[in-house]
Amino acid sequence: MQASVVSLRPGFALRWLVPLGWAALLALAVFGMQYADGFFRWIAPDARQVIYSRASFLDLLGRHLLVVGVAGAVTIVVGVLAGIGVTRRYGRDFLPLAGQLASIGQTFPPVAVLALAVPVLGFGTLPIIVALMLYGLLPILRNTLAGLQGVDAGTKEAALAMGMTQRQILWRVELPLAAPVILAGIRTSITINIATAALGATVGASNLGDPIISGIVNSNMAYVLQGALLIALLALTVDSLFDLFQQALAKRSAA
Amino acid sequence: MPVRAAARLRAGARTLAPNAVLLTLSIVMLAALWLTSTVSVAPNRIVPGSAFDVVAAFGVAGALLVSLLLLALAALSLKAERVNYQAMLLLVVLILLLMPFGLMVAGHFLIDPALAQARLGIGAGYWTLLFVLLLCLVELRLRLGLKRLATAALLLGVALVWWLCARLWLDELALVQEFHSRQSAFYAALSQHLVLVASAVGVSLVLGMTLALLMRRFTRVEKVGFALLNFFQTVPSLALFGLLLAPLAWLGANVAFLRDLGVSGIGNTPALIALIAYSLLPIARNTYIALGEVRPDTLEAATAMGMRPAQRFWQVRFPLALPVLLEGVRITTVQAVGLAAVAALIGAGGLGTFIFQGLGQAAMDMVLLGALPIVIMALIMDAGLGALAELTRHGGQA
Repeated sequence: MQASVVSLRPGFALRWLVPLGWAALLALAVFGMQYADGFFRWIAPDARQVIYSRASFLDLLGRHLLVVGVAGAVTIVVGVLAGIGVTRRYGRDFLPLAGQLASIGQTFPPVAVLALAVPVLGFGTLPIIVALMLYGLLPILRNTLAGLQGVDAGTKEAALAMGMTQRQILWRVELPLAAPVILAGIRTSITINIATAALGATVGASNLGDPIISGIVNSNMAYVLQGALLIALLALTVDSLFDLFQQALAKRSAA
Repeated sequence: MPVRAAARLRAGARTLAPNAVLLTLSIVMLAALWLTSTVSVAPNRIVPGSAFDVVAAFGVAGALLVSLLLLALAALSLKAERVNYQAMLLLVVLILLLMPFGLMVAGHFLIDPALAQARLGIGAGYWTLLFVLLLCLVELRLRLGLKRLATAALLLGVALVWWLCARLWLDELALVQEFHSRQSAFYAALSQHLVLVASAVGVSLVLGMTLALLMRRFTRVEKVGFALLNFFQTVPSLALFGLLLAPLAWLGANVAFLRDLGVSGIGNTPALIALIAYSLLPIARNTYIALGEVRPDTLEAATAMGMRPAQRFWQVRFPLALPVLLEGVRITTVQAVGLAAVAALIGAGGLGTFIFQGLGQAAMDMVLLGALPIVIMALIMDAGLGALAELTRHGGQA
């Protein structure tokens, strides 16, 4: 049956297979970790306890997703709006600075941004979200600018000549044409944020980075491995989903 | 209308319209100056300090002076003329030069000389002022069309004055105190950081270029290679460090030969391996693209001139590919500076040690002592390697 699906619509099932596979592995790890006692006992024979139990893995995953999700949602809205704003006539003055800022911002290491946010914002989950927002904004802004500026001037002129208003040109011409580049920026931003949120465990946020940090502190390799496995699987799942979106988008604009 | 707007953009300097960007930035600075705390004073390094506003920190005269300078900046931004931009550049540099003296004044007013442990912290308003002034500098550089080198020289001059002030008079500043109390550890961490970054970039440069050459030659290697490198790039750094800990600890414990080499779960080895794994993708990808961008007819011409394949590679293909390759080195280096900080978590040393120790002890000055040099290092590497790439590009075209 699997074979017939593949042959009917070549590529379709295969493409979904990758994110579904990673997601299944992630679910298996989240729910099955506690039954792998024997394996982790082998990894860390001297530890008193080999399965991280301060919070359930599902809880940790949920908090991780919440932090990345909230930060991501705000960044996407603000980043894309800012990108649109500075490419309109009223915001043109800010375009050079925004462009420079977006490229300089890429140089700031995420760890340093997180560390610099703590003295200003304090410990806990909220500073992490703010730090992730500040940092995740720049790739989205940069790609929105690149995408909108990459739209051929002749195409916009043609739309104007067809009687479209500025708003229609934005929604029907510029944004659809820039969408693949913007989506690539969102993908970069979310990928970095999943990694940086894990570092948030060092500044008092509880998420999937927690088992790693407490494992390193207590030299309990089993904890480290559990956290690392879950974060890696989460990152791979989300990334493969974005890969799928990008392919779908490329296909639609090609059609 | 669009035509006029475009003309205004092009002429830029000559019209009398205000520069909205600099006007906004000036207003932001004035607001930050008066509405947020300028400095804080703490009796020792752990107790959080109490905040003071601009009048308490600089005195009435000082507060008025700064406000006047910022108002002048705002006034100058009302006319977007070249002369005004030049005057604004002077003003911005002047304020940047005055800022450390402001801290001295604040230290004089607020620090009780009897308290040896008391330290001056920099407040949100002061940081905002510094950051926005640098934004003004970026904007002015763009409007005046300043060269990269001129801006670098300007910043270097300002940094020199700051450094002299910190060295000679700013002993009350928390950051300076923190530096003094762990000076040797700081230099050790700095060199560890640089060595880690340099060795990771160096090794991955050799490996990445070899890989790119192989991928150019064999299509099958290309597919598998990029899939594998993308995989590593996707896995978050903390997770990759964690995943490397366990197997390396086992190898270090059970294989005598590797143990003698210094392989163990904690320390330099896993950090270096992870950094190399991350660095390979940008270098391999850029080398691959760079080699592909060299036009086939150029190579054909080289062959027709009687060049041997090795000559053709080193004298034609490689120099032409160099700018894009250097771009890859730039991305890799900047990324490695940040990742090496994370490596401190698994005992690799480097400036990240200060960040994570400081966070653990809630000692924010220590966090700054680690984070600020990392940011500055990343910016310098970015600018330097960017300039180098530009240089080779010009050389290639001439």
